Amino acid sequence: MIIDAFDLPEGHVLAADVCIVGGGAVGLSMALHLIGSGLDVLLLEAGGLDVETDTQALYRGEVADETMHSPLDRYRERRLGGSTTTWGGRSMPFDPIDFEVRDYMPHSGWPIGREDLDPYFPEANRLCEAGRFLYTVEEAFDTPRQPMMPGFDSAIFTTNTLERFSCPTDFGRRYRHKLEAARNLRVILHANVTAVGLNPEATVVERLTARTLKGRQIGIRARQVVLANGGLESTRLLLASRDVMDKGIGNGHDILGRYYMCHVAGTIGAIQFNRPVWNGYDIADEGTYCRRRIAIRPDMQRRHRTGNIIARLHHPRITDPGHGSGVLSMLYLARMFIPYEYGKRLHGGVKLGLGTQVRHAVNVVLDSPNTIGFLWHLLRDRRLAERKFPSIIVRSKRHLHSLDFHAEQEPNPESRVTLSDQRDALGLPRLRVDWRYTRGDVESVSRFLELLAGEIAATGVGRFEYDPETVEREMTRYGAYGGHHIGTARMGVSPRTSVVDPDCRVHGIANLYLAGPAVFPTSSQANPTLTAIALSLRLAAHLRRRASARPAGFDATEGSPS
Amino acid sequence: MSRRILVLGADGFIGRRVVSALAASSWALPVAAGRRSIPSQDGGIDRIRLDATDAKAMRQALSGMDGVVNCVGGGAETMVLAARQIFGMTNQSGPTVVHLSSMAVYGPASGDVDEDQPLQGGTGPYADAKVECERLAAGYPRSVVLRPGCVYGPGGSQWSERIARLLVARRIGELGAGGDGIANLVHVNDVGAAVLSAWRRTECWGRAYNLTQASPPTWNDYFFDYARALGAVPIRRLSGRRIAIAARLLAPPVKLAEIAAGLVGLGGLIPPPIPPSLARLWRQEIRLLSDRAECDLGLRWTDLHRGLAETASWVASRLG
Repeated sequence: MIIDAFDLPEGHVLAADVCIVGGGAVGLSMALHLIGSGLDVLLLEAGGLDVETDTQALYRGEVADETMHSPLDRYRERRLGGSTTTWGGRSMPFDPIDFEVRDYMPHSGWPIGREDLDPYFPEANRLCEAGRFLYTVEEAFDTPRQPMMPGFDSAIFTTNTLERFSCPTDFGRRYRHKLEAARNLRVILHANVTAVGLNPEATVVERLTARTLKGRQIGIRARQVVLANGGLESTRLLLASRDVMDKGIGNGHDILGRYYMCHVAGTIGAIQFNRPVWNGYDIADEGTYCRRRIAIRPDMQRRHRTGNIIARLHHPRITDPGHGSGVLSMLYLARMFIPYEYGKRLHGGVKLGLGTQVRHAVNVVLDSPNTIGFLWHLLRDRRLAERKFPSIIVRSKRHLHSLDFHAEQEPNPESRVTLSDQRDALGLPRLRVDWRYTRGDVESVSRFLELLAGEIAATGVGRFEYDPETVEREMTRYGAYGGHHIGTARMGVSPRTSVVDPDCRVHGIANLYLAGPAVFPTSSQANPTLTAIALSLRLAAHLRRRASARPAGFDATEGSPS
Repeated sequence: MSRRILVLGADGFIGRRVVSALAASSWALPVAAGRRSIPSQDGGIDRIRLDATDAKAMRQALSGMDGVVNCVGGGAETMVLAARQIFGMTNQSGPTVVHLSSMAVYGPASGDVDEDQPLQGGTGPYADAKVECERLAAGYPRSVVLRPGCVYGPGGSQWSERIARLLVARRIGELGAGGDGIANLVHVNDVGAAVLSAWRRTECWGRAYNLTQASPPTWNDYFFDYARALGAVPIRRLSGRRIAIAARLLAPPVKLAEIAAGLVGLGGLIPPPIPPSLARLWRQEIRLLSDRAECDLGLRWTDLHRGLAETASWVASRLG
């Protein structure tokens, strides 16, 4: 059932076995998993069914260095479906090595292993509509595929792992019928949670307060509370709930908000291959787009002390008309039609002089057959297709590519989010983000590139040239990779070094859980969504088990003050 | 001693399977009756032509029978008229009747549905007729009602050949929310086994049994597994809008074209229509519970992948 908080009376109190805060990928996955569980589930969504400017504005905040981090109301969507209403759909599991303690990676190590999440990944893939949980080309395809880089037989890198893509599925739209039909689930729209109320002993969440932008306030009592409102927003809510714990809930040891990670990513150099390579998509039997990438083997990460990093064969930087590609020039000229979140790493908001723009126009004219073909492909396979072609792929006739890398960041306590002095329209302090990268991040990517250049040369497949002096500049050209909000409420066994325990429960609070990438202690090479969903399904299973031993004395009465 | 068992609707997909299952048993002498059957005697099977809605002919046919299996399909009216003839027998020591009903009797119900769920129909004349037939069956003490889900297997047109043709033509595939319903599939061999088992167990009289394999897939999953078995991959993602257009706008003219083509012997050339009822079923999240059939009738369901593989090879031979 879907209810609008605008239709609830002022002061109304709702009660539930489980209250999930946030209706994005993580919150909805949990709610869907709990349908038919016998538990009474409440899901509080801050937004409505569509974009609402005033609601979205609640996300605004401060950024310490605007060249290093996108504005806080970007890459986040405050509405049913959350940021799946705008995501690119790359659905990747974290690798087993990501969970390990690595002596060369400060603060690394999860208290759980990949094997703890493995039972939940197939369902996570299913919810994302990203096909089966098969992530090598050999497993995913019955028939052999052409190699990515023929002859590249390396002991350091693999080219057989896959990226899989969701439609990209908007969870709110896709699963709305299930939310409406479910008998044990109520989704409350426009319910912005503004406070998590603890008992005086700070051991149990007694009440949540939610408010609408029309000034209405409702109360929620729940046996179990799950914050699934995104890496940044869940942290903000905990930091801001200071009436019982003066530094915020779960922040007794000043860990909350620290270790903030995104990913470091960039495009660098030129790889001239001697033979044609395959940088396009393969389509799996279930119709999902799959793409291979270059990954550094786990044992080689340990030996060479690099983070987990992957790279893709990319097109040249589009702003430079020297590439001669009509397609890329057209993308530059049509940049105003490309959404901010996607344009940022495509053209980076670079403004070019008239002469350069004319050269782009000349490219479009001279390369018009390819440009027209591309437009048709864009219309058929992306605009009109229900399962969308995931990215811009430009084949190079000269076998010339740049390298696009996506790298793990070191957990760093100085990279952090805090509360600002500003407040939003509901009175909640806004967030201030101070994202940092480390010398270790630069060195890790540098080693990766150096090893790759060596292997490309050693295997005789081509030549990879780049200026090692530009690595730091390229990996920070667009700042932190947008939309990945990781690590601010890290998981661990000790409250001294972490915010949540291995079950995602906030240390010391019996019934408060966090779901989402905020609890990831490390960031992997992978985009966080799929792993966040798998972890949330594990949490949902945990809550089901806990529900069988319900604590006595819970007041399940609902109603409005008379 | 061999039992004479009249199988009504013996020319249909389920009827054929029931007849051969009975013929293969050591205890039954099936009499296969169909409206268009050509009378014959072959391999221990008596074939007779019989209109099950004809009261006089039915009285004659039923005399001397130990049992009846009602697989009469076709129009709603035919099914009800036939049921009236069968269950109008007032003789309490009359033949035992195994009546093939359908999950359609549950109408638009959703969630887990066992045999105690009230019958509501309401999703069209077929469902209403099946409810009426069950009402008639309820007044006859020596009857067992079987409620199969979607019966598939080699020889099946509805859930085997039609779905295969739609998959091969990429007119269905991955349907998103439009395929989230549960495909309560049951292999035709399992229906045959259920009939034999039901007939032999007097403790089953007066009871109804859902027939569907355990842990049925969603329609999306079914389409994917079936498409793989057919080699019709990669499957295509289709929007809800596209299916709605196919169901609401295109289905009537396609159906007319199919009928017209059938009359001139070109039926195979016209793509199968997707009627709105089918699109609705693909969304219906109804899960039939069939534990009672497993327990009372001792059924073990055919493995879906094995069933699909043999169905796909049958379809391949049909489609060339």
